Amino acid sequence: MVSEHWIEVCRLEELPPSGRKLVKVNNIEVALFNLEGVIYAIKNRCPHRSGPLIRGFTDSAGGVKCPMHGWRFDLRDGSSERPARAAVYPVKVANGLLYLCL
Amino acid sequence: MQLEQIDRLIKDEYAFFLQERKGWSLTVGPQDLELVAHALRVLLHARTTPDFLADYLALADCQGKDGGWSPFSADRESTVWVSAFCGLMLIRGHRLLHHERLAHSVRKAIDYFLDTQQQDGRWVDPRWADLDTTSHPVSFFNVVMALNEPHRRSAVLRAWERGVRFIIDHQSADGGWYDEDFHPSGVEITAHLIQDALVADLVIDNRVSGVRESCAKGAAKLYEWQAVDGSWDGENVDHTMDCTRSLMVVTCILGAGHREDVIGRALHWIIANKNAQGWGDFPGLETNLERTCDGLDTLLKYKAYRGSDPDDVIRLWGYIP
Repeated sequence: MVSEHWIEVCRLEELPPSGRKLVKVNNIEVALFNLEGVIYAIKNRCPHRSGPLIRGFTDSAGGVKCPMHGWRFDLRDGSSERPARAAVYPVKVANGLLYLCL
Repeated sequence: MQLEQIDRLIKDEYAFFLQERKGWSLTVGPQDLELVAHALRVLLHARTTPDFLADYLALADCQGKDGGWSPFSADRESTVWVSAFCGLMLIRGHRLLHHERLAHSVRKAIDYFLDTQQQDGRWVDPRWADLDTTSHPVSFFNVVMALNEPHRRSAVLRAWERGVRFIIDHQSADGGWYDEDFHPSGVEITAHLIQDALVADLVIDNRVSGVRESCAKGAAKLYEWQAVDGSWDGENVDHTMDCTRSLMVVTCILGAGHREDVIGRALHWIIANKNAQGWGDFPGLETNLERTCDGLDTLLKYKAYRGSDPDDVIRLWGYIP
């Protein structure tokens, strides 16, 4: 059995709707996005050329496009039409705090 | 911008680049080949290539049987973009190093690009936009032609011509080039394409009509896209360096007069947004080696651009022997 280990990363109020925030957990940069009230967490470095996804362009379909060379990733599962998948992390909110499971 | 300041920065950043050698040298172990190609370009433009023969030979050693390279040196699946970048650095390195293994590798790379071109003139790499991908083998063939490499010369000329035509035919009416998936803003792709197509036109002597006019329109679009602070594409360091380098060579070739206002503003922004050592992808982000190579390359080209011989900056792209 794998035990879940949730790590507190910030207060929910720090990530308002349409907001984004970069956090570092266990030395991993994670980009957080609040798209219409849903929080997503994705590894900040694009698997293509390490572009910072926190500076990327989000879309209404729940995707983020890397600002360097345009690779798009689905924030729900990290999938992409390109030959790579980004790491995404489960998120939960409790008592106004945001937690990630890495 | 004082050239003494540029010289000091070049010296300091080059020392840092050498200090980080284990991060880019194939003589140390397997590497990301796009980063390796960026590093070899720095060596070429710093005129230190003769001291690094082992690095060029190591690049030849990890070439695939089909003549291409894989994004990572230990892998075996060749892809076009990185193959073109590696091939370009090898042929330019060979010009200085004159080594038979490099000559053999260059011929294999020519075979690879002739084998992988599509019917409509483009080259394809799933990691990059087709237009951008196509500009790289065109660049490689520019140097192949400029250096009078005889291997399959008539086939190279035909492939080169079809590649340039593909690029020119896909320019938008406003002067920019765009790719909805990879480069919706058009900035980086336009910067790449105008320099590669214009140098091609210079080398192959106006074989494809309309290249100069097309590139002049593209350059005008880049001027228009520059932010007041001198950057491009939302303070994107990579794309700002691409635009700056492209405009330096393009304005030199077009002979339209130096655009000191645009280029000076860009360089000022690039220098103002460097880290203590090297550059990151955006202001404030940590230094990475690839962007540091780009920054160093930009400084080296700017030094040539400011020199008295207008051909110097063109030579730094390796197209004039």
